Amino acid sequence: MAGFVLASIYKPIETAYTSTPVNEQENRQNTDVAFHKMMDVLTHPRCLNCHPSDNVPKQGEDSHPHHFDIARGESHKGFEATKCATCHQSENNPYSSAPGSPHWSLAPHSMRWQGLDRFEIAKSMMDTERNGGRSPEEIKKHLTEDDLVLWAWEPGTNIKGEPRELPPVSKKEFISAVEAWFESGHTIPSK
Amino acid sequence: MKISMIVNGQSHAIELTDEYTPLLWVIRDILGLKGTKFGCGKAACGACTLHVDGEAVRSCSYPVKFAEGKQITTIEGLGNAENPHPVQQAWIEEIVPQCGYCQPGFMMATAALLNKIPNPTDEDIDNNIINVCRCGTYYRMRKAIHKAADKQNAINEINEPTKA
Amino acid sequence: MADNQSSEKKLSRRKFLVRGGLGTIGVLAVGTYVLRNPIRRAILEKANEMDLAYMGSTDNPMLWFELGKDNVVILHSPKIEMGQGTFTGLAQMAADELEISMSNIKVVHATTATGNIDGMSTGGSTSISGLWQPLRELAAIFREMMKIEAAKKLGVSVDDLSVKDGVVSANSKSLTYAEISEGVTNWTIPEKPILKDISSYKYVGKPVPRVDLDDKVYGAPMFGLDAEMPNMLYGAVVRPSKIGAKFISATTDKAEKMPGVIKIVSEDDFVGVVAESYIEAENAKQAIEVIWETPDNLQQDAIVSMMTVGNGKSTIIQKEGDALEGDDIVQMEFRSPIGAHAQIEPNGVVAFVEESKATIMISTQVIGITRKEVSSRLGWDAEQVNVIPTYLGGGFGRRLHTPHAVQAAVMSQAVGKPVKYIFSREEEFQHDMFRPPTHHILKGRLNEQGLLDGLEHHFVSGDVGNNSALVPNIVPPIVGADIGAIRGGFLQYSAVPNHRSVYWHVTLPFATSWWRSLGLLANTFAIESFVDEMALKAGKDAIEFRLAQVNDDEAGKRLKEVMRTAGERAGYSEEIKDGKAMGFAASVDAGTPCAHVVEVSVEDNKIRVHKVTVVLDPGLAVNPDQIRAQCEGCVIMGMSAVLFEQMKVVDGSLTPTIYGPYEMALMKHAPREIDVVLLQGKDTPGAVGEPPLGPIGAAIANAIRRLTGKRLQSMPLKLT
Repeated sequence: MAGFVLASIYKPIETAYTSTPVNEQENRQNTDVAFHKMMDVLTHPRCLNCHPSDNVPKQGEDSHPHHFDIARGESHKGFEATKCATCHQSENNPYSSAPGSPHWSLAPHSMRWQGLDRFEIAKSMMDTERNGGRSPEEIKKHLTEDDLVLWAWEPGTNIKGEPRELPPVSKKEFISAVEAWFESGHTIPSK
Repeated sequence: MKISMIVNGQSHAIELTDEYTPLLWVIRDILGLKGTKFGCGKAACGACTLHVDGEAVRSCSYPVKFAEGKQITTIEGLGNAENPHPVQQAWIEEIVPQCGYCQPGFMMATAALLNKIPNPTDEDIDNNIINVCRCGTYYRMRKAIHKAADKQNAINEINEPTKA
Repeated sequence: MADNQSSEKKLSRRKFLVRGGLGTIGVLAVGTYVLRNPIRRAILEKANEMDLAYMGSTDNPMLWFELGKDNVVILHSPKIEMGQGTFTGLAQMAADELEISMSNIKVVHATTATGNIDGMSTGGSTSISGLWQPLRELAAIFREMMKIEAAKKLGVSVDDLSVKDGVVSANSKSLTYAEISEGVTNWTIPEKPILKDISSYKYVGKPVPRVDLDDKVYGAPMFGLDAEMPNMLYGAVVRPSKIGAKFISATTDKAEKMPGVIKIVSEDDFVGVVAESYIEAENAKQAIEVIWETPDNLQQDAIVSMMTVGNGKSTIIQKEGDALEGDDIVQMEFRSPIGAHAQIEPNGVVAFVEESKATIMISTQVIGITRKEVSSRLGWDAEQVNVIPTYLGGGFGRRLHTPHAVQAAVMSQAVGKPVKYIFSREEEFQHDMFRPPTHHILKGRLNEQGLLDGLEHHFVSGDVGNNSALVPNIVPPIVGADIGAIRGGFLQYSAVPNHRSVYWHVTLPFATSWWRSLGLLANTFAIESFVDEMALKAGKDAIEFRLAQVNDDEAGKRLKEVMRTAGERAGYSEEIKDGKAMGFAASVDAGTPCAHVVEVSVEDNKIRVHKVTVVLDPGLAVNPDQIRAQCEGCVIMGMSAVLFEQMKVVDGSLTPTIYGPYEMALMKHAPREIDVVLLQGKDTPGAVGEPPLGPIGAAIANAIRRLTGKRLQSMPLKLT
């Protein structure tokens, strides 16, 4: 059913995403640096844990499957009665250690990143067939302004009361890198 | 700070210093409703499950500030001996509880499930009912959940006969 | 077999007395019940068959029944209700002899102030079996006392009276028990209680609904954590995360200034904080900086190597014929992990220490020991402390150890108000009294007929009974083995000419103790897995192979009947059908034999248990429905332990400390069908709450062996 609906909304896949060509060598180098900085973040468990390749959210720095077999459900927000919001609110919980953020949920199945390398993730992210039909501008906005994305730098503490690991790049640097990459034409370097 | 909420149909205004105090402790220690249980404090066991605006919530992981203006239902408000909820009726008929400690959380989770899925399959039950019971009453619980669904559907049928 | 025969246990008439007051018409304090010295008994009876009875005080009268103006009898139970259905069984037994209806009996926990203290604790699956005789006798005396007074008041002879539902009648006149009691000051106590014929019982033997059912379904405040006292404060205690950590010093300045903090209580052995709310106490606890002296970080492999047969002290607990020698011996080893109790209600207590008396409300399985520990810490007489036990949110042996009552009492004394102290879940997991890990070596040899010529069980366990306040220190040296660890460690195959069981004892660097069924779960897993392997080797049917090796004595006959019935009922077959294989195992615990047949498949490399057939011979079934419930619960709790659970020592700490990482069976893992068959191989009630845990591990492993060819030798059972 879901597949049928999708097919009627989205056009069939014709081509994979192709980036805007950029000629200048120097530009390319800067773009590559920005790209890698951005991807250092997007490949961190703080981001990947909610972009699983299956239907199971992941937890922790070791990205283990969410305990109690929690899964995506129809809405990407858990099962019908027991859902993300049963335990996760719009903020991190200082007492239970349950992380939280507005619209706490899994990325849709089309945005499965786990198991992909950084180049494949970037491709997926920019591919309107897979990114929810977002334009590059919308993706940039998502990466730099979305609460759930930025939660990565305020992930709270784990069940032992220890701070969760932050992405390897600061929030400020990440946002600059994302902006630089998009402004310079969002070219995905070759592997 | 002051927080207003409706618990089991009654309005309460609660004065608190820590707005992150888990709703669980407000319900138990300030309002004195002990049916909602503390099991782990980490949203892992489900013993503290109650309803916030009809949705199942683990109250040990729910800062009281989010309850502002909300309708809270606890096991005491789900039903009582004079007017039992179908879930409670089914639980009694199947003689589900052993130690009984986890049972309110399970019944609240089940009541929420039946509101979303009036006829849950075994798979729906497996997905949604993931609280922990140490005595091992799951076997009777599953029977009680199906029975509760039948009871609730029968009641709904009487109340809204035209709505198939 | 240690049955509780009436001939062994006589009521002592002079001990009966009757009190008035307490706002009821007549308070009947009847006591005491005959006792046997627990130490002697422990030595005299093989611990594997221990069927310990009620052991109350010898001297003081104690309160059993209280009669209200509404003609309701309150039974003060010396046994704790922790889910096992004891209150319901006791109510049935008492109601039948009291001649009252179930709706007119109420069961409450006896406080220590009633004098009705059971020195044997609540545990060991003995509550119903132990009280079967004494409680019915006490109830019968109560009934006869009523009849004697009624006869006087009605002017008829006792023989002319009839009793029904708490009303005594003769001719057309009748009096309720409450009316009879009015004005009576000098009760006549009958010489000897005359018990009714079991066949005339209205409640015993029937699936009466639990007496606590409504309270548990409507959320009544009944558990230890629900207890409250006026002006109560909340306490928390700082505990180390590392095994063997010793308290050196604490810096409390920061905590003292935290919101809601009333007082920091520093003692030689702990630091506690008292605050106005639970959350404030917990927050302040986190702010206390403690310096601990910690030994070298222990790791799991060190625990495993400590727990290896050959380490520690050995005792031969069973020996028949010769030791196995030669090249034709089959040998296998098995292991079980550290297990947590993981009961859902954390430990908790409310203590109020006043000038010369203390009140303790607590989830405990050992009210007498709780009282003793509190009174000795306060330097008081035991009678100055009243312990009010509550319903337990799970017991499983965890509440046989209650030092937190002492800590709450000390904190209460320091602030002069009641203090409630609740364990955090982390505290609960890190400071559990764990089920000890075990290691087993099984040896066997087949004879020419393909039967066992020799069978040996060599096993090692940590403390279960040893170092527990419940077992007097004199017991281990005399018995020579840990009376808890050896439960289930005996070989039930009495017809095997050469068989022996050798127990090795190692005390671990962290506390291990009683866990539902004690050694039974792990011991049966090892023994019955091995016996099954020998049956396969012999090319024989798993059940036929076992039946051939059990003698036809009384215990053997009951065991064989259980095995046979399980096979028939489940349609046991060695064939694999629709991807499912069957597995069989049997055990005897506390005199109760039990057999399981499981149907198992493997899906995504995970073990799935579809159906379990349980056949149990608990003797006379006081409440068949609750016995079934215990069987279902044992199957699921056992599956949880066998398939999922394990604690590990990592960098000196016991981990994990939360459900989820401490994986347990959930709804989805429970079998869709549990078929329970009850047999009655003796005419008195036997043990129920633990025996059905025995066979589950081996039954599953035996099914997996048939399905996959793999012999799983370590709990939790995993295919990868």
